[in-house]
Parts: sequence; C-alpha cells; structure tokens
Amino acid sequence: MTITDMEASIEHMSRGTIRHVDAMIMVTEPYFRSLETVGRMAPLARELGIEHVWAVANKVRSERDEEIIRSYCAEHGVELGAVVPWDEAIQEADREGRALMDYDPEAPAVVAVEGIADLIQAKPETNGRGGQG
Amino acid sequence: MKVAVAGKGGSGKTTISATLARLLSRRGHPVMAVDGDPNPNLAVALGMSQDSRNRMVRVPRDVMEMKEEGGASRLVMTRPIEDVTAEYATPAPDGVNLMVMTGVDHAGAG
Repeated sequence: MTITDMEASIEHMSRGTIRHVDAMIMVTEPYFRSLETVGRMAPLARELGIEHVWAVANKVRSERDEEIIRSYCAEHGVELGAVVPWDEAIQEADREGRALMDYDPEAPAVVAVEGIADLIQAKPETNGRGGQG
Repeated sequence: MKVAVAGKGGSGKTTISATLARLLSRRGHPVMAVDGDPNPNLAVALGMSQDSRNRMVRVPRDVMEMKEEGGASRLVMTRPIEDVTAEYATPAPDGVNLMVMTGVDHAGAG
C-alpha cells in the first residue's frame, strides 16, 4: 500500500500526479473555506476516475461541527468516511515532536483513524487504473 | 491500494496520513508512506528519529517526467519503481517505509 501526503493545493490534481491512486481522502475541518476545498476536489477526483473518494472530518469539537460537515457532504454528494474528533493529544504530541501513535496510541483521534483503515481494507484493490509504469 | 490524502493546509492531513500508515502497517500490510508536500513533515509525524531524518535523501525530480498524451499531460516514471524504492525508502516506526519527494517541476512556478 502507499499512503501519499499530498501538497495542499488542488491544482496538482489536474497535472496527473494523483491519477494513479485508488482512493482519495480529503481531510476537512468544520468551516466553510476548508469544506470548499472538498467541494472543488471531489468533482476533479471523479473526473480522474479515482475509485474511492472520501471526505474525512477532522478537528470536530461538537455535534454542530459534525452536522456542518455532514450536510455539506450530503449536498455535494461526497461520502463522509470518518469523523475525527478534536484531540488535545495531537497538539501535545506535536509540541514534543512525537508521533501521535507513540504519544497516545489509544487517543480518540487514533481510534477514528482506525475507522479509515477499516474502509481501506474493505475495498478491493483496483491498482490505480493501469498502474504506474 | 494507493491512497492519496489531500486537504487544505493545516487541516491535519499529515497527522492523519502518518497515523493511517502506521495502523495499516501494524495490521500487516506493507506500507510505503510518501511525502508529496513541498514542506515535508511526514517523517516527524511518523515518529522517525532526528538521526534517521537527517540521513534521508529526497527522491529527485527526474525519477518522473511529464509526458504529453493526447492533449493531456501525465506523469511517468523514468526508472523502475523498485529501483527508486530501494534507493530512497527509509524505515520508519511500525515497519512503515517513507519516501520524500522533491516535488514535480511546475511550469512557471520557479
């Protein structure tokens, strides 16, 4: 498996770097500008023929936060793959320059990411529509 | 399975990428983590030591090139992926391997 941490901008998507992936996870925070990025990326991902496209809500502090993301995704026809709660352990790990997994492998955010791993494991290999040469 | 993690800067995609890579590796999948961000910090998020981070060599730009193809451009590898992996992949915790990309030349972007 490869897990690629993409650059922040979305214009790379049209240049083909992302063409050979089977799944795209679009991480979003519960505010409009972040969600707008999902709104722009999702149609591009579909155009490129990426098999599995999920939004993942991150830094969710309240039911209201979750609701904002859920309704945006529903309106834009994007599947919400997981909801990762706001987790102080992430900031603490970051302050110490440590991995979240080492700082607290049972942190709520880790538990939520287990859900993303479940999603990925449940999907059959599509091998990036033609492979990578 | 090739997974791309995208999102606005500061959205937490690097923490999620790193955690996902380590969890999948713990579940027994061979995992290659790829840092495609021009400002790479996946190594820290994966929990690599300062020492191994210092020893890392970024994958040079010329392992890939843009090819024009029916009006569209696409990236192609100029060397077999196995060679690139053997030369540039660095071990990270939980058996994950990490490659840091130098980045693709963006026409006109310097």
